[in-house]
Amino acid sequence: MDTSHLAEHAGTASSFFASIFVVATLSMRTMIPLRVFGILTNIILIASAIPTRNYPTLVLHAVLLPLNTYRLHQMLQLVRDVKKSVNSDLSMEWLKPFMTERKCAAGEMVFYKDEKAESMFYIVSGRFQLVESGIELPVGAIVGEFGMLSPSNLRTQTLECIEAGVILSVNYTQVEELYVQNPAFGFYFLRLASARLFENIEKLEQRLAQHATPAFAAPRPA
Amino acid sequence: MASLLSSLRYLLADFIGEDDDTPPFPPDGLPDGAAPVVSEAIHRLIDYQGAGYARLYVERLRRFVGRRDVDAAMFGEIARLMAMRMSYEDPIRIAQQKLAELEIGTGNPRGPSADDVRKFRFDELVGALPAAVAEPVLDVLERLGWTRKRVSIRFSTKSRWGIRRLKIEAGLRRWRLFSVRYARERAWVERWLHMIGRSLAKQPMAASAIVQTADMVQGYGDAYRQGLIDWHAIIDGLAKPTFDGALPLGDLAAAIAEARAAVMPDPRQVALKRVIAEIRARALAAGANAAAG
Repeated sequence: MDTSHLAEHAGTASSFFASIFVVATLSMRTMIPLRVFGILTNIILIASAIPTRNYPTLVLHAVLLPLNTYRLHQMLQLVRDVKKSVNSDLSMEWLKPFMTERKCAAGEMVFYKDEKAESMFYIVSGRFQLVESGIELPVGAIVGEFGMLSPSNLRTQTLECIEAGVILSVNYTQVEELYVQNPAFGFYFLRLASARLFENIEKLEQRLAQHATPAFAAPRPA
Repeated sequence: MASLLSSLRYLLADFIGEDDDTPPFPPDGLPDGAAPVVSEAIHRLIDYQGAGYARLYVERLRRFVGRRDVDAAMFGEIARLMAMRMSYEDPIRIAQQKLAELEIGTGNPRGPSADDVRKFRFDELVGALPAAVAEPVLDVLERLGWTRKRVSIRFSTKSRWGIRRLKIEAGLRRWRLFSVRYARERAWVERWLHMIGRSLAKQPMAASAIVQTADMVQGYGDAYRQGLIDWHAIIDGLAKPTFDGALPLGDLAAAIAEARAAVMPDPRQVALKRVIAEIRARALAAGANAAAG
């Protein structure tokens, strides 16, 4: 019995079905649903390519399926890490996979006070100091995260490398892209930035209180 | 339709340039007499790169507006020298200038201006291209040992082909801000401004001398490179250690003047390094005596 016409009909029907998923994929506004529908489309097109023996389509979607799955995994992991960070130590280590490495020599200035800020940095090794305040930043510190959200976009201090080391940098545009592509990430990123800001305010208040206490405690001169 | 075109323009902004070409206004509260200098600089930078670049100039200048320790003369000099350094000479600039000469000379009965032949190093030419293109090429040139080789470039308005070529070269300005050279120039200008700021905080009397050091870095080719290494030698050897508190130099302005007098067209900087070492030794000895006495 000749079954080729059955395969042909099955192929046509599944191609039509897959087309609906292609349209649905392209109509998604944000990255996670887009990837999910992309994966579903890949599966349907692979399934429809088998009975029709459309091998080029089969190979193409067999490549795209793991790619879409990997990207979806990255996005979900990013949201999970940012969410975890908001609820724990407020660290920004989750940004590391999106950062590029840069070597710094001793005496090199990473950025200058009042310069327009365009990227944030993560200190991997070496010694780095904020010139104006004289504060030395520890390994693992993130610098310049508020520049992205501040209206003036200007650096508030100068960062100097005082002992050769490595820093990771990420451009604000890249973080903005992540923010726009992924609303959940954007929400938790804002919460994280606000939490870090509140933490800074709290530290400043503590310092002020420390400075103020001796003045009140000191006896009045006769 | 307009919004669709606007979206396309935004998407391709990196390649076709910014949509916003509104010229910036000079900052409010300029000192007396500075307005013409700033206004001329804004026009120069719009012509050089675009309105966005002129805005960067205005933003940088705003750091010194209203500062008590910056008088009108010093402000004027910062404005003038910063505009000069921000419109640095590269092959794109020279092509722009030749085309401007041609426009001015259109009514000139003597005809188009003469040919201009300039010598550039390979790394200088490639450095004017976007970093993504230039960096792999520079790596290859470095491996071949050709980075320092010189090449003569003719900037000519005598023929239609010459003018067409100049227009193509001048058109590269769209990518100038992505170039290797721009990244270096940006770091230099920021360092110069940072040093002026630190001088105003630590040794206000020397600020004017620091401002004037921008004169040392000019042009292109060997003269530019020599100026650059001399400038860094003076700043690293005298200014920075003084601001850091590592060098007890009472009169930084005089020390800079003394070091600048020793600047020679010598890539090894023998005379300059010797003078800087002498100044440092004198300052350290005086500091030690003061501490002991």
